Amino acid sequence: MKISYLIFIGFLVILIMFSATTYINFKQAERVNENSEFFARSTTIVRHTNRFQRNILNMVSGLRGYLFTGENYFIQAYDSAAQENIDILAELDTIVPDTSVQKRALRQIRQLNDEWVNNYAIPLIEAKKMSLTSDSSKHAFDELYRERLLSGVEMRLNRRLQQMFKDFSNYEYNLRDLRKSELTESIILTKRISIYLTSVSIICGLAIAIFLAYRISNRIMKMVKMADNIAAGDYNVHTTAEGNDEIGSLARSLNHMASVLSENISLLKRKNEELGQFAHIVSHDLKAPLRGIDNVVNWIEEDHLDELSPKVKEYFQLIKGRLVRGENLIQGILTYARIGREQPVIELVDLNELMGEILENVAATSTVAIDVQKDLPVFETEKIPLQQIFSNLIGNAIKYNDKRNGKIKIYARKSPSYYTFFVEDNGPGIDKAYHDKIFMIFQTLQERDSFESTGVGLAIVKKILDDRRQSIKLTSTVGKGSVFSFTWPK
Amino acid sequence: MTMDKVINILLVEDDTLDVMDAKRTLDKMGILHIMHVAKNGEEALKHLERVSSENGVKPDVILLDLNMPKMNGMEFLSILRKDDQWKNVKVFILTTSEEKEDKEAAKKLGVSGFIVKPLKLNNPSSIDSFNLMIDLLNFK
Repeated sequence: MKISYLIFIGFLVILIMFSATTYINFKQAERVNENSEFFARSTTIVRHTNRFQRNILNMVSGLRGYLFTGENYFIQAYDSAAQENIDILAELDTIVPDTSVQKRALRQIRQLNDEWVNNYAIPLIEAKKMSLTSDSSKHAFDELYRERLLSGVEMRLNRRLQQMFKDFSNYEYNLRDLRKSELTESIILTKRISIYLTSVSIICGLAIAIFLAYRISNRIMKMVKMADNIAAGDYNVHTTAEGNDEIGSLARSLNHMASVLSENISLLKRKNEELGQFAHIVSHDLKAPLRGIDNVVNWIEEDHLDELSPKVKEYFQLIKGRLVRGENLIQGILTYARIGREQPVIELVDLNELMGEILENVAATSTVAIDVQKDLPVFETEKIPLQQIFSNLIGNAIKYNDKRNGKIKIYARKSPSYYTFFVEDNGPGIDKAYHDKIFMIFQTLQERDSFESTGVGLAIVKKILDDRRQSIKLTSTVGKGSVFSFTWPK
Repeated sequence: MTMDKVINILLVEDDTLDVMDAKRTLDKMGILHIMHVAKNGEEALKHLERVSSENGVKPDVILLDLNMPKMNGMEFLSILRKDDQWKNVKVFILTTSEEKEDKEAAKKLGVSGFIVKPLKLNNPSSIDSFNLMIDLLNFK
C-alpha cells in the first residue's frame, strides 16, 4: 500500500474516533440539559401539587367555617383557594405531557374537584347564604347540609381527591428518582466510552506513528547509507526493496541506479586499464625498432666512420635526432600513461632539498638565473608527482626562455589547507588563445625542429593535478613572461 | 678485458639485431665465447635436450630474452628449473623493461642477474651486468 494512503487512513481512523468521542459527549450534555429542564418542571409540578392540596384543605376549612359561622371571612378564604386551584390546574395541564399517566390522573383530579365544588361546596354555600333570609330557606339549608355533608359522601370525595394528589406527587417523585439514576448511569457510561475511545485513538496514533517511523525512517536511513557508500566509491551496494509503496520504488530505483553505475564504472575502469596497458605495450613495442635503428647507426659510426662521406654523416645526424625525438615521445606517453597507476607514497618532503635536486637535473647547464624562495615548506606529501610538476614547469621555463638575462622565480604561498606554488619566468609569454591548448597532450607552440619538444610535459602536469583535484593557472603577457601557479594539498 | 677460457653461452633471443648486438658487445669486451642462439623457449629446450643426449658441451650461462613468440622467457625458465640437470645453470635476463613485477617473478625462479638492453659499450649498465656475469662464472 502507498504510504500516503497509509497516513491518510491512519489520520482518518483517529479523526473518526475523536469525532465519536465528541459526539457522545455532546449527546450527554444534551441529555443533562434535558434532565435539568425536567427537574425544573418537576419542581414546579411538586410545588403546585403541594399548593393544591393545601388549597383543598383551606377550601374545606373555609366551607366548614362558613357553614358553621356564616362569617363572610371564611367565604373569602374559600374563594381565594378555589380560584388559585383553578389556576394551578390550568398550569399543570400545560406542564404535564399529554400522553403521560399523570395527564389521566390530572383529568380525574379535575373531575373530582369539579364534582366536589359543583355538587357540594357551591350548593351549600348558596344555601347557607339563602338560609339567612328566611326560615324555609334555613330549613332547606339544613336539609341539604345533612344530605351532603353529614352523610359523609363529601368527606369521601375529598379524601379521594387528596389521595389522588398524593399519588400524583408520589408518581412525580418516583419519576424523578428514576430519571436521576438513569442520568447517573449514562454519565458513567459516557465517561467510560470517552476514556475508552480516547485511549484507543492514542494507542492507534502511537502505533501508526511507530509504524510509519519504522517504514519510512528506517528504510530511508538504509538508502542514505547506500548513497553514502556510492559517494565513497563503493558501487556494488544493494538495499532491500520491500513493499509496493513509494519508498519501495525509490529503493528499487536506487538499486537500479547503483547497478547501472557499477556496470558503467567497471566498464570505465576496464577501458581505462586497457588504455593504460595499450599505451604501455605500444610504447614498449615501439621502442624496440627505434632501438634497433639506433644500434645499427651506432655500429656504422663505430666501425665504418672512415668510409662515410660528409653528406652521409649529416644524414646520420638527422636520423639520430629523429630517433631521440621518437624515444622522447614514447617515453612521454609512457610517463603520461603511468600517472595515477602507481600507489601514492607519502613521505616527509623538504622542498628546499627537492628543489636543489630538480635544479641540478633540469638547470645544470642553463644560463638562466633561478631565484628560489628561502624557507620553502617541509611537509608530508607525495614526492615523485611534485617533483614531476616542478621539473616540467622549470624545464619549460628554461627551455623556452628567449631573453639574454633570463630569470626564473620560484615561490610558495600558504593557505589553511593547501599551498600555492609559483614558477615565474621572463620568457616569451603565451597568448591567451593558447592557454587551454598547452595543457593537452602533444600540443606544442613551437615548430618541432626549433625545440626538442614533445608536448607531453604540461599534459603530465595537468593530469597529476587533475587526479588530485588541484588546479593550475597561467597568467602571461606576451613578450614579457608567464607565471604558472598550481595548488597542492598540505 | 682478457680471458683465458672460452665461455659457452646459450642465447635465447628472437630479435636478430639483439643477437648481433650481444655478439658484438662480447667481442668488443674481449670475452671469448661460443654462442648458440635459440629463437624462442621451445628451440632452447630442444637444444638443451640434444646437448644432454649427445653428451655435448653444456652451456655455462643462458642469456634469456623475456618477450618471444611461441614460448616466452618466463615459461622457458619455469620449465628449465623443473629439470634437475638444469636446475643450477646460471641464467641472465636480457630486458628493456624495468617492470618490477617481471623482475620479482624472475628472481623467484633463480635468476643470477639482469642485463639491460641495448647492449652497448657506451651503455654502462649493460657493461656492468656483463662484468658481473663474468665474475659469477669465475672465468677471470
